[in-house]
Amino acid sequence: MSTATAPSVVSRLLQPLIAPHVFDFWASRLHPGWSWRRALARVLERRVEARDAVTLVLQPNRHFAGFEPGQHVNVTAEIDGVRLTRSYSLTGLPHPDGRVSITVRRVDNGRMSTHLCQRLRVGDVLELGPAYGEMTLPPSPSGPWVFLAAGSGITPLMSLTRALAADGMPVDLTLLYWARHRAELCFLRELRALAAREPRFRLQILLTRETELLADERPGRLDAALLAQRVPNLESCQVYACGPAGFVNDARALTASRARRFHAEAFTPPPVRSDVAGTVRIELRASGRTLEVPAGQSLLSALEAQGLTPAHGCRMGICNTCACAKTAGTTQDLHSGETCAEPVSALRLCVNRACTDLSLDL
Amino acid sequence: MTTATLNRPLSADELQRFGAELDALRARHLADLGAADARYIRRIVKAVRYTEAAGRALLFLGLFPPAWVLGTLLLSLSKILENMELGHNVMHGQYDWMRDPTLDGKTYEWDIVGTSDNWRKTHNFKHHTYTNVRGMDDDIGYGLLRLFPEQKWKPFYLAQPLIAVIFALLFQWGVAIQELRIGRWWYGKMSGAELARNFAPVGRKMRRQLIKDYVVFPLLAGPFFLPVLLGNLVANGLRNLWTYMIIFCGHFTADAETFPKSVVENETRGQWYLRQLRGSSNLEGGPLFHLLSGNLSHQIEHHLFPDIPARRYAEMAPVVRDICARYGQHYNTGSLAGQFGQVIWRILRHAFPSQPRTAWA
Repeated sequence: MSTATAPSVVSRLLQPLIAPHVFDFWASRLHPGWSWRRALARVLERRVEARDAVTLVLQPNRHFAGFEPGQHVNVTAEIDGVRLTRSYSLTGLPHPDGRVSITVRRVDNGRMSTHLCQRLRVGDVLELGPAYGEMTLPPSPSGPWVFLAAGSGITPLMSLTRALAADGMPVDLTLLYWARHRAELCFLRELRALAAREPRFRLQILLTRETELLADERPGRLDAALLAQRVPNLESCQVYACGPAGFVNDARALTASRARRFHAEAFTPPPVRSDVAGTVRIELRASGRTLEVPAGQSLLSALEAQGLTPAHGCRMGICNTCACAKTAGTTQDLHSGETCAEPVSALRLCVNRACTDLSLDL
Repeated sequence: MTTATLNRPLSADELQRFGAELDALRARHLADLGAADARYIRRIVKAVRYTEAAGRALLFLGLFPPAWVLGTLLLSLSKILENMELGHNVMHGQYDWMRDPTLDGKTYEWDIVGTSDNWRKTHNFKHHTYTNVRGMDDDIGYGLLRLFPEQKWKPFYLAQPLIAVIFALLFQWGVAIQELRIGRWWYGKMSGAELARNFAPVGRKMRRQLIKDYVVFPLLAGPFFLPVLLGNLVANGLRNLWTYMIIFCGHFTADAETFPKSVVENETRGQWYLRQLRGSSNLEGGPLFHLLSGNLSHQIEHHLFPDIPARRYAEMAPVVRDICARYGQHYNTGSLAGQFGQVIWRILRHAFPSQPRTAWA
């Protein structure tokens, strides 16, 4: 593989001689994607997928351990001297030469997404974390399936759709794909071609703010009437939903109790609960500091507002990068509203707020 | 002249404003950190790596005397840059905002026999928090030398002019064992088992450094084993002498003050800044000199703002100096020769019994 690092025998021989970061320095002079143990990926191709959305085809080095369709990956880029990490869904299929694709939609004032969409060039290097996420396919899928995608929620579902298509579409699959405007739709040509070619795949495009609609497009949001019409056999379906938190909550309310199986991932951070007033004291045991922070915010934002930079990834409670042990105090999950008064070994800072004073291993 | 007459006593209100002005300077620079600082520290990394590679390559031609001399000097330069401008500053967390794992203050490991973990404890925490507080800052004489009349005299100190020279030559070993506090074991305040436990990581680091410089690279040179070994020994020695000189000039000049433990109780931000200022002294010189000192030539600025990238100290210095002038505080600076001369005088003078002239007000 062109971006492989030194073979492991060489690694073992070099270990006592050279520190990994020194090895990385010299390796990167020879090839920007080489590293002792970090998963680096070079940008091979950059193509515009829709308005404000690009697909990046990346060639990782051998330290990237692969992925399953439907999974996500933490991507790290250096912007103005600072390394930023955000989670993106892998949109392609596992490829024999190891290359992967992510599709990025530019968010207003989003530093990372703007960098990836507008400034990143072919040949640039990004760092990847290991793939994660449970919204994957079983070994042999059966029964009818429904994918509910809104906005950039299409990205993991596109990978799953491609995986089923590559497998000869072994199940009936209905994809309902929402966007505000037609220009924002990703993978449109491929999806329409698949729907035309594959009788077991049904596609419904839904545009909420477009005035003139094409033959295969419909207006409207997700509701019971639409669902009854497009998915009459919901009771026998497995439903995967992905999109902004509000959309996912609607999908859960409409289908979770009725469908055969329901799984969802929300792509926006939880809202700040401003109804929770006051401040709490957080003891950071590893650094020997105590801070006073507002109780209504996620712990990650609250700590960052104090100038700390805890490790983090997705900021929405799925990648676990920010998880740290809590030894005392009560927290509330901002997604579910559940409170937890027990000590835990991995509290996700990005989706939990403090209800009381806390002790964290940070 | 004593420092008491150099410094105007400040009222609580003045101290508060003094601290606020320094806080404002700090905030201005923190807000401005970015690509230029990242580029700078990467250039330093590059300089460290290339000078090391060139130095070691030249040493492989070590039978040719000019190559040996140049190779040794380049390797010394690499080690000095790595220890001072790169390692010391990175370990302060000056570049943590970049979130680059290779420049992470908590995990960086430097090219000397001491472990970074021990350094982060004795230096970053104890020395920088309790700067020049007697009994709390282990850097006052390093438990080996009597540099201030407030330290209790013992006959042992009569030998310190000689001990100071040996300490300078072996400075990296002194740094390596400082946190082990062997004295406590010697006087029976620490068990042998505890010392052995604390020594384990230090021993591993020492072994790694010794194998690298005195076994692996000499062996790689084949027939030039001896010149390479000697070159590495001299390079480590030159680095020891240079760092010793710079570091001693930082807190042991004539006007540098030490403080009793009581000062740290209920110390305000303004008082903390003032203590850092009065305990530190700067060195004057050009950009290259500042670089080679790891910007510890700006010891005052470093002690006021230890977590701000050191490349900014030169820009901060005139502002700090102006603030000091307006609040009637002495800004201790001078040439390397002048400041180090004062350090040597302290080493010689306080080998003999001496009395403090004025109490710190």
